[in-house]
Amino acid sequence: MKFFRRHGKAGTACGVGAWTAAAGLALLVGALTARGWGALDPAFFVSPPSRDPSRAGIGPALAGTLWLALLTISFALPVGVGAAVYLEEYAPRNRWSALAESVAASMAAVPSVVYGVAGLAVFVRAMGAERSVLAGGLTLAMLALPAVVATSQEAIRSVPEGLRHAAYGLGATRWQVLRHQVLPAAAPGVATGACLAFTRTMGEAAPLLVIGAASFVTFAPTAPGDPLVSLPTRIFAWTAHSQPEFGALAAGAAIALLLLLLAANLAVLALRRRMRGAHP
Amino acid sequence: MTGKASSPGKAPGPTSASAAAKASGPPKAPGPVLSAEGLSVSFGKRTALSNVTLEIPRGRIVSVIGPSGCGKTTLLRCFNRMNELAQGARTTGAVRFEGFDLYAAQVDPVEVRRRIGMVFQKPTPFPASVFDNVAFGPRASGFDGDLHALVEEVLSAAGLWPEVAGDLDAPALGLSAGQQQRLCIARTLAVKPSVLLMDEPTSALDPTATARIETLVHSLKGAYTVVIATHDLQQAARLSDMTAYLDGGELVEYGLTETLFTNPHDERTESYVTGRPA
Repeated sequence: MKFFRRHGKAGTACGVGAWTAAAGLALLVGALTARGWGALDPAFFVSPPSRDPSRAGIGPALAGTLWLALLTISFALPVGVGAAVYLEEYAPRNRWSALAESVAASMAAVPSVVYGVAGLAVFVRAMGAERSVLAGGLTLAMLALPAVVATSQEAIRSVPEGLRHAAYGLGATRWQVLRHQVLPAAAPGVATGACLAFTRTMGEAAPLLVIGAASFVTFAPTAPGDPLVSLPTRIFAWTAHSQPEFGALAAGAAIALLLLLLAANLAVLALRRRMRGAHP
Repeated sequence: MTGKASSPGKAPGPTSASAAAKASGPPKAPGPVLSAEGLSVSFGKRTALSNVTLEIPRGRIVSVIGPSGCGKTTLLRCFNRMNELAQGARTTGAVRFEGFDLYAAQVDPVEVRRRIGMVFQKPTPFPASVFDNVAFGPRASGFDGDLHALVEEVLSAAGLWPEVAGDLDAPALGLSAGQQQRLCIARTLAVKPSVLLMDEPTSALDPTATARIETLVHSLKGAYTVVIATHDLQQAARLSDMTAYLDGGELVEYGLTETLFTNPHDERTESYVTGRPA
């Protein structure tokens, strides 16, 4: 009643919505933890998968996901930021740049499984990358690219015009204005957007399954050419098992995936705070 | 750009700017520093400036007055080719700097902006230290002398040195608005321009900070040619040798400040400077 009096009708309705969402999330994490906590022992994080559930682990899958993250970032970040810089700072405003922009934007709406099919055709078959970590990383990079371009464009656009004019007024070239004023000012926004894109991508199973992630690889990938393994596809393989013990393993692996994404988000938050310090 | 007969070949030599900056006292070289002839600017379908012709004498302070939207900013931005940064800007007529056509094909706008500096309406320090703000321009143009000495020199010229000398690494955004604007002036001086364009430099400042900027601008007279846009008529009267009155993109009247304020030829000027509607 006190809550209702303080927030009014609309406020209470929104409050109920917020608490429902929070409760749903808590329920989900709670159920995962109840189910998978038992599986989480140090050996679980390093052991390879096994037919014996008591000995099975996520070692190769975890390493595979870290590889995928590294490859995805090193492809999608430079290409995405480069495209955004081109569209915002260099491209003439005409119907071609408008077309390029709307194509980039609508690519974000393409379902991830479709990227998987495209990745299978282009990277696995045509490029001959096989069903490797490299093929997976390139496919996920394609998936992340539209979001990276869009958020980077937004960040570059939000740099105050006065900053650009001041730098031009001091006789800086376009590149100097970009390199020393626009990009540093846009960096926190770019980092946040890119992080959101990457954490979403790291949780993707569908495109990797289409490419053909190996479900039973007992060694961790050590090079981009090694067979494709990942945490999401590992989880998928275990949930498909009939033995209930594997369900607990899947829940354990899901917790590990969530912890990994949480750590990545916290790292970017810290990075963003540091960049903000230099460019408030 | 309709190419008025401009001397072909090269832009003004690198020595002319610094020489003009160092020269104190009355100017020696003949002719105006800047001149506009039949200058018109439009943005898309909107005409911002039409058929303006005027000469800016060397080492003097020239103020540009007129109601909001009369083209003051546009006129200033013609002199350092800033208008072309805006989408759809079209400039016709001629602008000459030391007799050379500023809009000739072989002239690099970056080089133009190093000789003709600009200070903006709102103080726009970079989100960096005081030192790095001043050093930005010289670094951009490949300055290879003593950067610390240069920074001290221009901060002193801008009357800011005693206030910031203790901590040049302090963030520029931590300074007061008035200090920020003096920093922006120092930053512009560091590129060693011979002309300073000031676009309503005090309109965002309180009276005390405004007075300090005016004293500073006055002290720059002679060493620099200053073109200052202002909507503060007293400021124009106090500071400038010559005044241009713009209305609706047209140059209504241009002459000695005293004449323009006390005995204007055009009744539109008279109604503007006296504050009485025509």
